[in-house]
Amino acid sequence: MAERTLQGTGATPRSGVGSVVWYGHEISLPDPDDVEFDPETEVGRFTDAVDTARTELESEREATAERVGEDEAAVFDAHIQFLEDPTIEDAVETMVGDGLPAPNAVDAAFGEHIEQFEGMDGRMAERADDLRDVRDRLLRLLTDGERVDLGDLPEGSVVLAERLTPSDTAQLDPERVAGFATVTGGRTSHAAIFARSLALPAVVGVGDALESVEGGAEVVIDGDSGEVLVSPDDTERATAASDSGAAIVDESVETTDGRHVEVAANVGRPAELEPAAERGADGVGLYRTEFLFLDRETPPSENEQYEAVREALETFPDGRVVVRTLDIGGDKRIPYLDLPEEENPFLGERGIRRSLAPDSDLFATQLRALLRAGADGAGDLAIMFPLVATVEELDAALDALDAAAADLEARETEAADPEVGVMIETPSAAFMADELAARVDFLSIGTNDLTQYVMAADRENERVSDLHDPTHPGVLRAIHRTATAAHAEDAWVGMCGEMAGNPDLTELLVGLGLDELSMSAVTIPEVKTAVSETEYSSASERADSARLAATRSEVHTTLDT
Amino acid sequence: MTVERTVTIVPEAGLHARPASAFVQAVNDHEAEVSAGRPDGDLVQAASMIAVTSLGVGQGDDIKLVADGPDAEAVLDELERILTTPEEELDTDDG
Repeated sequence: MAERTLQGTGATPRSGVGSVVWYGHEISLPDPDDVEFDPETEVGRFTDAVDTARTELESEREATAERVGEDEAAVFDAHIQFLEDPTIEDAVETMVGDGLPAPNAVDAAFGEHIEQFEGMDGRMAERADDLRDVRDRLLRLLTDGERVDLGDLPEGSVVLAERLTPSDTAQLDPERVAGFATVTGGRTSHAAIFARSLALPAVVGVGDALESVEGGAEVVIDGDSGEVLVSPDDTERATAASDSGAAIVDESVETTDGRHVEVAANVGRPAELEPAAERGADGVGLYRTEFLFLDRETPPSENEQYEAVREALETFPDGRVVVRTLDIGGDKRIPYLDLPEEENPFLGERGIRRSLAPDSDLFATQLRALLRAGADGAGDLAIMFPLVATVEELDAALDALDAAAADLEARETEAADPEVGVMIETPSAAFMADELAARVDFLSIGTNDLTQYVMAADRENERVSDLHDPTHPGVLRAIHRTATAAHAEDAWVGMCGEMAGNPDLTELLVGLGLDELSMSAVTIPEVKTAVSETEYSSASERADSARLAATRSEVHTTLDT
Repeated sequence: MTVERTVTIVPEAGLHARPASAFVQAVNDHEAEVSAGRPDGDLVQAASMIAVTSLGVGQGDDIKLVADGPDAEAVLDELERILTTPEEELDTDDG
């Protein structure tokens, strides 16, 4: 356990560990009664400070555009305009004429507008940060203030500050700085947004308690939980240090030759939704619904299921949420359902087989909840059925969906018209992909089960773990066959197994034709980066060589060269 | 010559952030005195980032522009273009 844990707001879902460097902004203004000054000289000093500040801002703008991006650099344009604002210039000149030294006049001129912006809401209030930043820059130039050079900190520094302005964060080199924490600030402050785009571990709004942490102390910045751990133990240190640090990409991504690939999250419970969005997920590619049914005495009501799905749709208002209908059986047992013991549960009544069993109304209830949530929720709902092996099963599931919609219509309740898809997990589904795709909007390949069933290798049995590997050409051919069949029927094809989250395989999967990759949220940044570095045309050729290889080692040779 | 125009704001950010920067930049690049404000409110100096931002005009709001000077028409054309272009299409490289 760490010596102390301070709670703030996580700005970047990243962790880092390092030693504390305090960064201060103390600027002391001259006492106007104490100093002799000449108004003309003071106006000249102000004009010179504005010129120097402009030069600094222009070079910081350029450096930020190069290191971070054009969007993040745009804030410096605003700063230059605040710097040159005629309102400020007039006010400073008037006040200097009335007897104030230049720094005091600058402080007063900005102060008035800072207060004005602070009194407004939301994003307007953040303009106060911009004005403070410009003011402090001018004051530093006018008072010969010194500051710690944030661009030249020792490697492994954690910066602690009252507040970090955009210019401050822009100087932080993520290669050298392990993270930062601030006393003030919220999730939408400039510092937080900058930190996020640099994937820099950051916690903001810790409060005054932060000031008790001494320079040189070792701390962990946990941007996920919003905690600052002072003097962490070995486990906490090791966990923080293992964070990979790939940049978070919020935008949707495409290959260098313009093929869009959706990168989505696998989500197993509502608490994972927000972290997935923060890691840049475009949507949810697999929303497991089992959490609704586990650890309880009775099945969840239609309303309870509606709320859970609705929450996911609200988390991704511009995205798609693919909800998998209940996938029980096999290794997932639910006491109140009283399912019979099976000799071989992985080959038994699981997934859609259980949902279609005549003795259960669970499926109808779930489908009604989904259709209602889809009608009311902000994001786009999609529904997929697990472990389909036959066209008959799919037809029956589609009939059940129609029946659920009819029930809702009879209740005069609004129902969504969602995209519908099938999970490709059984060899039969891969062989029948053309027939299945003709009946739905998408196919989603569940590689964990598909590999287990194609290779006849138990995913839990270490003795056959070499066989349970999706890069065997047999599995790659099943994936390719599925993707080709989907595209021939104008359906899209995704993947929601662990394979999809391996950035080393992203080029292969894009080359095999996958339109969507869904994974646990942790690897989304790496996979998004990998997609945007892939050229589809060459990836496609390489994927052809890989799947046509005779052995797994030949596949790996193809991928490595 | 004084010209006047009322424009409905298209960028999602309103007259804020990048659109505001582009707006003030355009005013400074032209030979004209420009003022701006809500149609029913006071006009402020359009060359002032602080004043323009304080207007707090958002997407879908109307803004009245008044320009005086040799570039009056040209500056209003440019400002209208900035205010009616969605932010992601706004070319800010011209400043």
